[in-house]
Amino acid sequence: MTKSETTSPVPPPGEVTQVVEHFFRHEAGKIVSTLTRIFGVEQLNRAEDVVQETLVRALQTWPYYGIPRNPSAWITQVAKNLALDLIRRDKVFRNKENEIALLMEQVSADAETVDSASRENAIADDRLRMMFTCCHPMVPQEAQVALALKTLCGFSPAEIGRAFLTSEAATAKRLTRAKQRIRDACVAFEIPTGDELTGRLDGVLQTLYLLFNEGYKASGGEHLIRAELCHEAIRLATLLAEHPAGDRPRVHALLALMLLNGARLPARLDAEGNILRLEEQNRSRWDQPMIARGMYHLIQSTAGDKASEYHLQAAISACHCAAQDYEATDWPRILSLYDRLIELDDSPVVALNRTVAIAHVRAPRAGIEAVEIIHDREQLNCYYLLYAVLGEFEADLDHRQAALNYFQKALELTTIKSEQTFFTKKLRELNIAHANGARRAHQRSEHS
Amino acid sequence: MSTPTKSEYMLLFRGIDWHKGLSPEEIQEVVKQMYTWLDRLTAEGKAKAGKPLFPEGKVVSQKKGRSVSDGPFAESKEAIGGFFLLEVGSLDEAAEIAKEFPGLNYGAMVEVRPVAPECPLAFSSSEKSTAQPVRASA
Repeated sequence: MTKSETTSPVPPPGEVTQVVEHFFRHEAGKIVSTLTRIFGVEQLNRAEDVVQETLVRALQTWPYYGIPRNPSAWITQVAKNLALDLIRRDKVFRNKENEIALLMEQVSADAETVDSASRENAIADDRLRMMFTCCHPMVPQEAQVALALKTLCGFSPAEIGRAFLTSEAATAKRLTRAKQRIRDACVAFEIPTGDELTGRLDGVLQTLYLLFNEGYKASGGEHLIRAELCHEAIRLATLLAEHPAGDRPRVHALLALMLLNGARLPARLDAEGNILRLEEQNRSRWDQPMIARGMYHLIQSTAGDKASEYHLQAAISACHCAAQDYEATDWPRILSLYDRLIELDDSPVVALNRTVAIAHVRAPRAGIEAVEIIHDREQLNCYYLLYAVLGEFEADLDHRQAALNYFQKALELTTIKSEQTFFTKKLRELNIAHANGARRAHQRSEHS
Repeated sequence: MSTPTKSEYMLLFRGIDWHKGLSPEEIQEVVKQMYTWLDRLTAEGKAKAGKPLFPEGKVVSQKKGRSVSDGPFAESKEAIGGFFLLEVGSLDEAAEIAKEFPGLNYGAMVEVRPVAPECPLAFSSSEKSTAQPVRASA
């Protein structure tokens, strides 16, 4: 046997991947935030480089020596050593070397007393600073989402591109510009306080909401990576809600809304990846622990005296989650929540969703009438769901031809494969029902 | 000789920037591919050793007296990021194996070099020069 074979047995490659799912991604988010505080926000790229190098090192060494007893502390220590090397080598840090080195020493001192509450708090503070920096009003909102995914969630430009149906190059460019904006505006790497906190918190919430919706709405892209977006949005909102600065009713409301909708994701697609409507979903596949968490945060969100859009959307979602089956859905309550929501958000999409509740509470006819009087309805002219909703109403009224026309229109407008499959199926069902009806009518006439 | 002679070849992986722009999970995937590859070659008896090299280090040279300076030693595109020691039938076979290096997709290069026989003096005896320690004991 050669020497190399005796001294470096290579364990099965699966071993390193057996650490907690997304361990490296989430560790990266922690360390990038801490290093950014130490290096300065204008050196974000360098912080990212150090983290990458650290992860490569972990992945290259662990197969030989096994996973360390405390992987997180191992990673922190290696990142610290690499960061110290960098600041000694890089002239950017020359004037600040002592200061930065001192801060780095503190990080290592913290790392030795692992799992201490103070270390966890310091990490949480750094990640919140990063969240406020990424969601700074100086950064365009689309870029805010991308930057948060990159720095806090450890997504690559290619992964972000796949999730948002843009190219890797376009995403990389967007990220570079966002970082440039942050540098140019001298954005402070801090958690805002006082009056500023409220406004800045709203910005963070909007970005997290957008992130969640990108994952939730089925506008294309890879299903798996889109579910990841929802989970990352929930993770970041949880970090925010658990932090004293973010422990506000609105934050809990947004988190509740994400959890209560996210809990139903596993039941939303069938085995072939086709979309299942609420009434077709197998409710036993809803994630009950997640619903319980959502309900908890919904209760937390009632601490204030103001109901935000997040509160109302969360409450609507809670109605669906609470229903044993589709028939048990509390439509009158949902309608009253939509009535209040529309006062806060007069977008035609909210109004369209409200018509579904109207149709359930009153009649399909009332639903159609409500669609006709939607404010700014022309904005929905190219929105396939308008025709899907109208198609359902007409089908419920047995207006076969009108329903066929609407579903045909919806089919033409959607680019999502699973939706196309859905409308094709609808059209076929209506045609079959009609053919059967005609055959029966024909048989009746023959027998008479 | 009826049995094919095997020689040693060194694969030197050049380029230490392959992970730039990849996410932690993408890096994890590439490293996993590298280990899977090394494991297979080891199981086939083709790889005798293989390790990644850390990018830092020292360069010792005679530039200003006998000097020691900090790495990296070359452009990161050129710097060596790891090595495999192969034992295969020919340089072509070694090059074919090198083509499977997962890092090629990410801008890394592989240099394939024949390893000189253990003892240069053994060139005087062609019998000894081709005999590897493992084979000799077999």
